[in-house]
Amino acid sequence: MKLLWLHGLSCSGNTQSFLCAENPTAGELLSRFEVLYHPAVSWEADETEVVRKVLTSSEPLDVFILEGSVGPGARKIAGKEFKTVVKEIARKSKFVIALGNCAVFGNIPAKRSPEVKGLQFRFSEEGGVLGKNYRSLSGLPVINLSGCPAHPSWLSFVLLCILEGGKLKLDEKGRPVEIYAYLTHHGCPRNEYFEWKIEAEELGKKEGCLFYHFGCRGPMTHSPCNRILWNGVSSKTRAGMPCVGCTEFDFPREDMFRTKHAMGIPEELPLGVSKRGYILLAGVAKTFAPERLKKRLIDENQ
Amino acid sequence: MKISKKVLGRVEGEVELRLRWKKGKVEDAFVIAPNYRGFEEILRGKPYLDALIITPRVCGICGHAHLIACVEAIESAYRKKGAEVKLSQKATLIRELTLSCELIQNHLRWFYLYLIPDLIKLEPSLGEEYVPLRGKRWHEALKASNFATKVIALFGGQWPHTSYAFPGGITCDPTSFEVMQAKEFLRSLKTSLEDFLTGMKLEEYVELKGRDFLTKVSGDIGKFVEISFSHGLDRVGSSYHRFLSKHGVLYHRLCKFDPLKVKESNGKGYSWSKTARYNGYPFETGPLARRMTTADKTFRYLSRKFGDSVMVRVLARLDELVRLTLRSLQILEEIDLSQPSWEKPPVDIDTFSGKGIGVVEASRGTLIHKVEIEKGRIKSYDIITPTVWNLGPRDDNFLGVVEKALIGLDSELKAEIVLRSFDVCSVCTSH
Ligand code: SF4
Repeated sequence: MKLLWLHGLSCSGNTQSFLCAENPTAGELLSRFEVLYHPAVSWEADETEVVRKVLTSSEPLDVFILEGSVGPGARKIAGKEFKTVVKEIARKSKFVIALGNCAVFGNIPAKRSPEVKGLQFRFSEEGGVLGKNYRSLSGLPVINLSGCPAHPSWLSFVLLCILEGGKLKLDEKGRPVEIYAYLTHHGCPRNEYFEWKIEAEELGKKEGCLFYHFGCRGPMTHSPCNRILWNGVSSKTRAGMPCVGCTEFDFPREDMFRTKHAMGIPEELPLGVSKRGYILLAGVAKTFAPERLKKRLIDENQ
Repeated sequence: MKISKKVLGRVEGEVELRLRWKKGKVEDAFVIAPNYRGFEEILRGKPYLDALIITPRVCGICGHAHLIACVEAIESAYRKKGAEVKLSQKATLIRELTLSCELIQNHLRWFYLYLIPDLIKLEPSLGEEYVPLRGKRWHEALKASNFATKVIALFGGQWPHTSYAFPGGITCDPTSFEVMQAKEFLRSLKTSLEDFLTGMKLEEYVELKGRDFLTKVSGDIGKFVEISFSHGLDRVGSSYHRFLSKHGVLYHRLCKFDPLKVKESNGKGYSWSKTARYNGYPFETGPLARRMTTADKTFRYLSRKFGDSVMVRVLARLDELVRLTLRSLQILEEIDLSQPSWEKPPVDIDTFSGKGIGVVEASRGTLIHKVEIEKGRIKSYDIITPTVWNLGPRDDNFLGVVEKALIGLDSELKAEIVLRSFDVCSVCTSH
C-alpha cells in the first residue's frame, strides 16, 4: 500500500509523537507500507518529485496523511499552492488521515487567519479545506485523529485497520470511536477525588482533582489519554497537569489553567451533567467524603 | 551560472536550500524557512499563563525547551516586580532532567534519522545497517531515543507537548517509583549508547581528552570520525567561528552573555525567518557553541585543529548526548522527593503587569523568550529560537551563519550535510 505523509502548517509534533510509537514501532509500521514520502524518514525520495508523480499518476494513492493545517503561510509544492496540492491528492486517495489538531480543526495556526483550516473543519465549523461532503475513494470522510499531538497508537490503530481491511467506525467529527468514545477523565487516578469533590487547592500534589480550580477539561474531552498512556507510562493528569482539551475543536481556548465559575459552580460541567444534578451530587459527595481522601496518600513523616 | 533549489526533509519541518553555482562551486546560498504560523501575533492579548500551553507548540521536537523558556520568562517578570518565586531544588532538578532528556532524544534522532542517511550517500560502505526503515541500527537508535522520551513522560505526563512546568515549580509529585523507573530507562539508554554510539563505557568515553579523543573513540562516533577524514568533513562547513550560548559569547575572547545585546531584524525578506545578531554580529549557537563557551578543553583543541567544521560540530552534538545521559542519571540521585514540587508565587494573576525574559539552552542552541504582560494579558511576546541565529537570512552586513558555511562547497550532497550539521529546525525558524 502506497503511503504519502505531508506537513502543512505544523510543528512536526505529530511526526515526533509517532516516532515514539510502540507495538508496533513507527519504523515497524511504516515498513509494512510503500512509503512514497515521509518527512522524517525518506532519504532517497524527493518530496517535490513524489508529489508531482502522485498528482499526475492515474493510479489512486492508498493512504494520504496530512499533518498541519492548510492556508496562507503554507509553502508551495511543485509550483502549486499547498491547498491545491492537498485537494488534488485527497481526490485520488483511498484513505485520508488528518493527523493532529492542526490538520483536523486548524488549531493554533488557524487563530491567525480565517483562511487557515483543517481538512474538513475549522474549529467547530464544518467544511474545512475539502468541504463537508468530501469522501475519499473508500467512501469514508477524512479520518480525523485530533490531539495536539495525537498519540502514536491512535494512528497505528487506524493504519493497522487499513492494512487489515478492518472497518473503521467514525464519530460525528470523523474520529474513530474506539479511541474518541472515551474521555480523558476515564481512568484518571484522580477520579475518586472528583467523585467526592475533593479539589486540588494547589499544583504539585498527587492528591485532589484539577477540575474545580485548575481548568481540567478531562470530563468534557474526548481522548483516551488515561486509557492508552503516553509514551507508555503516563498522562498529563497523572503528572498533575490539568487536561487542556487538546483533542477538541475549540483548542486552544482562553485562560486554560483556570476553571470559570458562576455562583460557585463551574460554568462548564462534565458532559451531559445538568446543573441541578451537579449541585445535588456535589453537596452529598462533600458531606460524605471519606476522611482518608483528605489526607496525603503517602505520609512524608512516617 | 546555475541555480539549484531543493526542498529538504529530514529536518524538523521542511527547509528550502537555494544554491547559486559558479564553476562547480557554491557561490551564494540561501536558506529559506517556508512556513509561517504567527505565534507572536497569536499570543498577543491572551492571558499570560496560556503561553505555557501555546509556546511549546512552536516546535514538535524542542517544545519542552519552549516550555522552560516560557516559565522562566514569567518567573523573571515576577521577580523583577519583587514577587518571590521559591523554586525548590527538586523542581529545578526535575526541570533540568526533562529538558536534558529532550536534548538526548533530539540528538539521537538527528544523528541516526536525519544526518546518517546523507553519510550513506557519501560513503556507501557504511552499509545497510543504517538505512532508514531497513537498517537494524536505525531501529535501535529510534528505540533508544524513546527511553529518553519516557523519562520526560514520567515527570511531565507526555512528550511531545506537556506544560507541566508552572511558575513556582512543577505540577508532578513523583514517588520513588517514578524515579526508579526513570533510572531504569536511562540505564537502558546508557547501555544502548555504549553498544553502538561510543563502543565503550560512557565513563571511559568522557575521560578521552584532546588528541586521544579522535584516535581512541570507537563505535559510531569512531566511524563518523573516519568518514569525516576520508571525505574532508573536517575541512568543510566553517562559518564565522563566533559562538554564543547562555554561558558566554566567544569571539577572540570569552565574554559574559548579555541578553540586552541581542537584536532581531527581519533580514532580507526571502525567508519567513527573522535574523538575530549579538552586538550587531552573527553568532553560531548549539552544542558546539556550548562546548566552546564553557572552555571545554577537547573541543577547544578540536576547533583549533579543524575549525568549526562539520566534523567538529557533529562531534559536539554527540558528545553532549553522552554527557547529558550521565548527568541525567546523576540528577536522579540528587532529587529529594520530600521537597515541595510547587509553591504558589505571591502575585495576582489577573492584575499582574511586568516584563520578563527566559533563556534556555535548547537542542539547537540558545532559545530566548521575552514577554511583556499588562494587567494579566500578553502585551507582546518575542521568541528568538536557536535556528534564527543559525538559519536566519542575511542582513546588510553579514550572511546568515549557515549561508556562510555553505559557500565554496563543491557538491550538493556536501551542502546538505553542512546544513544538517547545524541540526535544522524550520518550524522554530519561522514559527
Ligand atoms: S483531574 Fe481532570 S481528568 Fe482527572 S479526575 Fe479530575 S477532572 Fe477528571
